[in-house]
Amino acid sequence: MTRLLPALLVLFLAVAASLVAGARALPLVEYARAFAAYDLANPAHITLMQIRIPRLLGGLVAGAALGIAGTVMQTITRNPLADPGILGINAGAAFTLLLGGLLLGQPDAATVTLLALPGAALASALVFMLGGGMRGDAGPVRLTLAGAALNAMLLSLVSAIVLLRQESLDVFRFWVAGSLAEAGARPILFMALLAAGGGLVALAAAPRIEALLLGEALSRGLGTRPGWVQAAALVAVTLTTSAAVGVAGPIAFLGLIVPPIARRFAGSSLRMQLLVSALLGAALLLMADALGRVVIPPSEVRAGIMTALIGAPVFIWLARRVRSGAFG
Amino acid sequence: MRAAVLPLALVLAILASLMIGQLPVGPMALLHGALTGDGTGALVLKVIRGPRVMTAVGAGAALGLSGALFQTLFRNPLAAPDIMGFTSGSGLAIVVAVAAGLTLPVPLVAAAGGLVAAVLVALLAWRPGHSTPPLTLVLVGLGIGFATSALSSFALTSLPLNEAAEAQRWLTGSLNARAWDHAAQVWLALAMLAVLALSQLRPLEALELDSDLATGLGIRADRARWAIAAIAVLLAAAAVAVAGPVPFVALMAAPVGIRLARARDLKGRLMSGAMAGALILTLADLAAQAALPGVALPVGVATGLFGAPYLLWRLSREMKKGGL
Repeated sequence: MTRLLPALLVLFLAVAASLVAGARALPLVEYARAFAAYDLANPAHITLMQIRIPRLLGGLVAGAALGIAGTVMQTITRNPLADPGILGINAGAAFTLLLGGLLLGQPDAATVTLLALPGAALASALVFMLGGGMRGDAGPVRLTLAGAALNAMLLSLVSAIVLLRQESLDVFRFWVAGSLAEAGARPILFMALLAAGGGLVALAAAPRIEALLLGEALSRGLGTRPGWVQAAALVAVTLTTSAAVGVAGPIAFLGLIVPPIARRFAGSSLRMQLLVSALLGAALLLMADALGRVVIPPSEVRAGIMTALIGAPVFIWLARRVRSGAFG
Repeated sequence: MRAAVLPLALVLAILASLMIGQLPVGPMALLHGALTGDGTGALVLKVIRGPRVMTAVGAGAALGLSGALFQTLFRNPLAAPDIMGFTSGSGLAIVVAVAAGLTLPVPLVAAAGGLVAAVLVALLAWRPGHSTPPLTLVLVGLGIGFATSALSSFALTSLPLNEAAEAQRWLTGSLNARAWDHAAQVWLALAMLAVLALSQLRPLEALELDSDLATGLGIRADRARWAIAAIAVLLAAAAVAVAGPVPFVALMAAPVGIRLARARDLKGRLMSGAMAGALILTLADLAAQAALPGVALPVGVATGLFGAPYLLWRLSREMKKGGL
């Protein structure tokens, strides 16, 4: 429990920042009043209940989901550069979701959001297979480039669709940048259940994943079946990534940054790492979102762009160490 | 015999690109138009498809030569200006310049963006006292690519819709609405930079073997490396200035060209890289336009669709050879 405390504290600060930051400054007393006596005529109450609270909830769901997805991916591939955005899983989820949304005309409906699942599942299976990531023997370079190739291919398909239907560009260009701004219109509760399902699978499989890391032969000796463990990891990554994409669109780099920090707080237990990742992922996304709201007022930088601008330098810093022996 | 394969294929691709389209023309009409200067053949040659095809050939050759130079310099088939983020740096610079309302010449903006990206990659990958492995350059370049694409999507979300559509086309890589001055511009840049590249042939040959050997031959290895890299970045920028950051052409061109032409010596390899680049871009543009009737897709969609599987295949091969 004590290991969770620092992460909880960070999350608490991020929640506060997320509620306070914005174009409109709200008097603190209104926060209490909005909950106690909600007044439809009061613009402060409307801002809080219709804009900031949905954003907060969306950030909690998407951030926690991406933190878990990143930790599972980095652990099972033994690759510090693994992230749902970098490896093309976000793009897979976004592709099928957008395709369905454009064909049915409703990208934010709960049923359409389910379309993220097959795309994410296919992309994660593909990139792990092609990148050799499942056996954990692929170098980071190969896995990352395989992800880049997958991203590029899906992006080509998406831009073909978008360019075929000019009117869809207006939706698409905002959607694809990833943001919590539209969280209020997205099926948050449904996605929260999806993310929770993914998280539970990851937590349940955690000891088996740890056993697998000892080596295939040894893990078999401990009664672990590698194929099942890998499948469970894929399911966890698919569910969490789809949920995050459904709430916030494709947000990259959160799954890259969070796991190494979580490891510092959580120690060596994978279960504890997963819990801390969920807390820190939510905190980081909420902070990126809050920061994006205040950097260039009155307009805002979308959260996905903020995480990419923070994440790209982290990626480069990690990439520099890849061949210098730090990762073997 | 083998040396004729690439030029022949390129000529056929150019002819096919001239003949196929919304207004199809036969070979005789084309010939008639070329000789007499009137009729549909002449219209297609002069206005409709002539400038576009020439731009495609020039930009493709520039990308191909750029990729061949990088791959030789770093002795790594994954080193290419598109993988390492240089072309997206050029593309971003153009979009930002247009969005900011600057009236600078596009090629200069593209060159500046590409050079900034390249210097950033080199600086960030540099570790004092260590030689930089090419794969670190590739990874750091990918990181720079992530940063530029984040900035590009920021530009896309802050532009008004019609400009955003234009910018989206630009960032995908497109040969739409190319005129003769685009073709002239890319060919001029290609000619000048190709001459410069040929002047660096001897240092490049030595560097490819061994940088100690190069030093022994009286070549200042670091200076030569920077000069060749700068030429290659500028070649890619020249292509981006007329066609946008078309993905994967620079990556694929040299391996495809060298295999088709069975080129051995350095000059032959560079030449076949350039010709293969021209061939790939011309064919990709033809495919992108003909794929769906009535809709002209940007060429970057086509190169993305078949370039990505190539990259995956290349990765698995490098893996088997133990290079990754």
